[in-house]
Amino acid sequence: MIELRDATVVFNRGDPLERRALDDLTLSVAPGEFVTVIGSNGAGKSTLLNVLTGDVLVSSGAVSFDGLDVTRWPVNRRAAFVGRVFQDPLVGTCGFLTIEENLALAARRGCRRGLRLATGPKRRAALRDRLADLKLGLENRLGDRMDQLSGGQRQALSLVMAAVMEMKILLLDEHTAALDPRIAAFVMSLTNQIVAEHGLTTLMVTHSMRQALDHGSRTIMMHEGRIVLDLKGDERRRLSVEDLLRMFSKVRGETLDDDALLLN
Amino acid sequence: MTPYAFFGALEAGLLFGIVAIAVYVSFRILDFPDLTVDGSFPLGAAVSALMIVSGFNPFLATGCGILAAAAAGALTGLLTVRLGFLDLLSGILVMIALYSINLRIMGRPNIALIGEPTVFTPVEQLGFKSNTAILLVLMAVVVVVATLVSRFLLSEIGLALRATGANARMAAANGVNVRHATIVGLTVSNGLVGLAGALFAQSQGAADVAMGIGTIIIGLAAVILGESILPGTGVVRAVVAVVIGTIVYRLAVALALNSDLLGLKSQDLNLITAVLVVVALLAPRLRRGLRRGIFAAEARR
Repeated sequence: MIELRDATVVFNRGDPLERRALDDLTLSVAPGEFVTVIGSNGAGKSTLLNVLTGDVLVSSGAVSFDGLDVTRWPVNRRAAFVGRVFQDPLVGTCGFLTIEENLALAARRGCRRGLRLATGPKRRAALRDRLADLKLGLENRLGDRMDQLSGGQRQALSLVMAAVMEMKILLLDEHTAALDPRIAAFVMSLTNQIVAEHGLTTLMVTHSMRQALDHGSRTIMMHEGRIVLDLKGDERRRLSVEDLLRMFSKVRGETLDDDALLLN
Repeated sequence: MTPYAFFGALEAGLLFGIVAIAVYVSFRILDFPDLTVDGSFPLGAAVSALMIVSGFNPFLATGCGILAAAAAGALTGLLTVRLGFLDLLSGILVMIALYSINLRIMGRPNIALIGEPTVFTPVEQLGFKSNTAILLVLMAVVVVVATLVSRFLLSEIGLALRATGANARMAAANGVNVRHATIVGLTVSNGLVGLAGALFAQSQGAADVAMGIGTIIIGLAAVILGESILPGTGVVRAVVAVVIGTIVYRLAVALALNSDLLGLKSQDLNLITAVLVVVALLAPRLRRGLRRGIFAAEARR
């Protein structure tokens, strides 16, 4: 169980620019649940994710993973429990290292690192099998530098790297937003496959209402640092993108016009 | 070039090859422009020279020189990651502090080691001439250092260091403590520089408080030169490249100083080095500009 209790994040406290990015937010994600998170810019989606990864520490409130209080833990310590895919493929993978080295680095997430060789023939065979499953032809390019790959290939590898080790939660930060539609669909189907295969607890931030409803088992909508909608089960299944958009506008106190529908 | 000048250049090339490997670790692997080395080079020399004239075993003295310099590197790392100082500033602060510390350690601006036992003495006792013995020992040390550093960079910790320098967010997301990685890298790098300083003092017959000036630039010149002589990827290639880069650089400098045509003197060394680094850093840009110029000319046709 991943839990946020009364989590509040205030940026620039005491400054004219003071902003409450998370406002007394409480959320529990059950094991195996796949939560999609939507909301407008500045609603607090990224802050929610960053509070779970440890990039942002809460001003007040608590974060716990399976009952373990990790509120004050930094990113590298939480990494033992957190698998993560960034929006930018250039951030989630290291262009300067080879494909094999990237995977080797990920394979020690949450473990002590020693003076053993990071890569070797034994591990290489396992990696090759793993990459062959992707059907991207990357299994024969283990020695190539990561910066020779396309954004889509790097994002697919980010997912594989995240899933190499066990985790308590997989965090996806608009991880298909920077990709062209065809590649985005591939990465999304790979995501579903990996989540299902390992039974991962997942939280995915997205800009796309369609994506939010089509994937996962629960959808939350954020606005001004709070959760304003929490949908699951039948209620969520019956919902169309139009319904969701209408709710979205109501929350924001706006009337829905046809443009918004068309654009989405 | 006389044989004497050639072997002198080779000796200096090997010695500064160790510095170049160290600068490769800080500057390229960690992406940390570490100016501490201008202070840790004479620190290694000062500690080992003082211990040798006090009657300690030269190998023990060299070891202590390495440890002292490594500690200086760790201090620069701490200033940067714990106190959040700018990396350049941390290095400069430690370097300046080391100037006073080195004077304190030696008690005077320099210590002569003429006639004292050094790490080269056992090889001399095998019947080799002094210069040959120095060359042999330096060759062995460079091979050992290059092998150990390569092996270290290929290890799990080494990989974490490389990821830290290239993409700190990704490294942290994969559980790497990037602060520790920075400190470890600077400790290793400065330890190597201390070793070079200790060997330099013993081969030259003196430790001098001013001997560290320009160490970072000499290392940097070697790294950049090595990368253009032997381009490609992989840490083993890179480590070999910087050693070759240093030797080529010292030989080139010796040639320049020995040609009467140019009228250069040995005091021009640092100026030559600085000019070389500027040219090497500009080279890729100039090459691109030239290519663009050609394409532009073709387009007009």
